[in-house]
Amino acid sequence: MTEPREIFVRLDRCQGCHTCELACAVAHSKSKSLYGAMAEQPRPRHRVYVEAVHPNTPVPVLCRHCEDAPCMHACIAGAIGRNEEGAVITRADKCIGCWTCVMVCPYGVVGRQLEEHKAYRCDRCEGRETPACVAACPTKALVYRTVRDFSSDVRKTASTAMAGPQGG
Amino acid sequence: MASGEKRYLIVGASAAGMAAAEAIRSIDKSGPVTVFSDESDPPYFRPLIPFLISGKKEAADMALIGQGPYRGAGIDVRLNSKVESIDSRARTVELKSGEKVEFDRLLIATGSRPYVPPEIEGTGAEGVFTLRTLADARSAAGRVGRTTRAVMLGGGILNLKASFALLERGIKVTLIVQSPQVLSQLMEPGDAALIRDALNKAGLEIETGVSASRILSGSAGVRGVLLDDGREIVCETVCIGKGVRPNAAFADSESIHVDSGIVVDRFTASSAESVYAAGDVAVTVDPVTGGRIVTALWTNAVEMGRCAGLNMAGRPTAYGGTFGILNATQVAGVSFVSMGIVHTSGLDYETHVHESRGAYRKLVFSPDGKRLMGVLLLGDISRAGLYRFVIRERMPVEKIKSQIINHTLHYGHFLRSR
Ligand SMILES: Cc1cc2nc3c(=O)[nH]c(=O)nc-3n(C[C@H](O)[C@H](O)[C@H](O)COP(=O)(O)OP(=O)(O)OC[C@H]3O[C@@H](n4cnc5c(N)ncnc54)[C@H](O)[C@@H]3O)c2cc1C
Repeated sequence: MTEPREIFVRLDRCQGCHTCELACAVAHSKSKSLYGAMAEQPRPRHRVYVEAVHPNTPVPVLCRHCEDAPCMHACIAGAIGRNEEGAVITRADKCIGCWTCVMVCPYGVVGRQLEEHKAYRCDRCEGRETPACVAACPTKALVYRTVRDFSSDVRKTASTAMAGPQGG
Repeated sequence: MASGEKRYLIVGASAAGMAAAEAIRSIDKSGPVTVFSDESDPPYFRPLIPFLISGKKEAADMALIGQGPYRGAGIDVRLNSKVESIDSRARTVELKSGEKVEFDRLLIATGSRPYVPPEIEGTGAEGVFTLRTLADARSAAGRVGRTTRAVMLGGGILNLKASFALLERGIKVTLIVQSPQVLSQLMEPGDAALIRDALNKAGLEIETGVSASRILSGSAGVRGVLLDDGREIVCETVCIGKGVRPNAAFADSESIHVDSGIVVDRFTASSAESVYAAGDVAVTVDPVTGGRIVTALWTNAVEMGRCAGLNMAGRPTAYGGTFGILNATQVAGVSFVSMGIVHTSGLDYETHVHESRGAYRKLVFSPDGKRLMGVLLLGDISRAGLYRFVIRERMPVEKIKSQIINHTLHYGHFLRSR
């Protein structure tokens, strides 16, 4: 088995342009195009969140697909599992919208689609070679690497300001 | 069996028992794991059973094995197998059939059963049900066709879920609540206005401050409920949702310390050697208050069960406990989350309440204002997990307090406030 890749954030590179959010929403739309997505109901949601920290620092936050994923163990409906690539996936058909996952996620990255009464989150763009947010990021603040590659990269560039795998 | 292998027995094949079995399997690939269940259904997600009444799901849609983290590989689940007694010195359990089974490690994960107040007369009548098992849900569903009105005794979350399942089947539902307001375990009367409104609009009839004294029945089963204020409500079904009690009575109390539930240490071990307990049947610790509590939470049962499984398989793992209140749900279109300490009337906590159209929140801090103790969110529950983290880790909140109070906290604040 090849080592699974993860989405890493290099905080020092993020300019807060929100392109990742847009790309994420489009990737999770039915039409998969920006114009199509804008017209869709329910509105396609993004699962990466560029938050602002005072005074002006953008911080992209997204699902870490935690090793001991609290959401997966807490789910009272068996709707959250791990796919072969190691990503934690919420299955909409099983989700009953009880929001237990929202209550236990320590990163606050599980969203609620109220129209359909379903929880949603980053699925690392199942089926795509590179997640849409990573592909769209103009400054390469988001990267898709194995843990090993990413940490050797960090060692090489001696980057200090980054949010690595944020742990479980 | 190879010598030196541990034989694991688990009593109860639900959240705690199955989570423990998976955890054992994650480290011990060969020691036999046997799980006894007195139910005849294979393990299922218990909280889903109201959907059997509403007709939105079938039993097969609720199966646990094969979903989420439950793979079931190498786990022998034996249904219709009630464990009658434990002999912790001889390390055996005895089944109802008389069969004795030996163990090296035993987990008691027998959960809890509905509490039926003895002061209510007539609870044995046909058409009176509690909602705990799939079998219960089947019998409730079986009565739907003969029911015009159902009376629900108890205003907790379980009865609200059951009420909506019945409403969806076109049945009129009256909720009888002894407390001054619904959901009194999860919020104070003043906090529940938003939900109460939504419940009323959804067509639920609610009577507070009264209780049932007798269930009236005839040859066709239930025909009404007599209230303690003398009124009589005609109905064909009664559902009792008055809380649960741990199934601890069968434990051998000479060596296993029982205090309402089975008392365990930080490593989920009971007072008897090689015997562990987890889930609704176990007494655990609330990290916020430090007090001993018995919970009725799926989340706790799974977490504690996993922890017990690791300990049984030889990996010492401390259990950090759980809040007595840790509930999320949506009723009548209102999402809510209640966690930690949310009952503050007459107490010294620093509370911040914010009310707006369609949303309500109450943040509870310690009297000195330095720690978050509890959170109640109605309507907008987004990022609620951050608060759980702050409460559980007893984080100093000084740098993020305004964000907590204004409900603008996000993960970035944790990264940047270090
Ligand atoms: C309708 C409903 C909705 C719920 N919703 C939520 C929710 O939203 N969130 C939440 O956190 N919790 C919820 N709960 C509570 C949750 O289901 C329980 O806390 C959880 O199931 C406890 O798990 P457990 O493994 O400790 O025990 P249980 O699930 O009670 O399982 C114990 C098992 O052991 C069996 N058993 C007992 N004695 C013996 C014996 N002597 N021999 C063999 N087998 C035995 C029992 O029959 C049972 O199958 C809900 C419960 C219900 C009924």
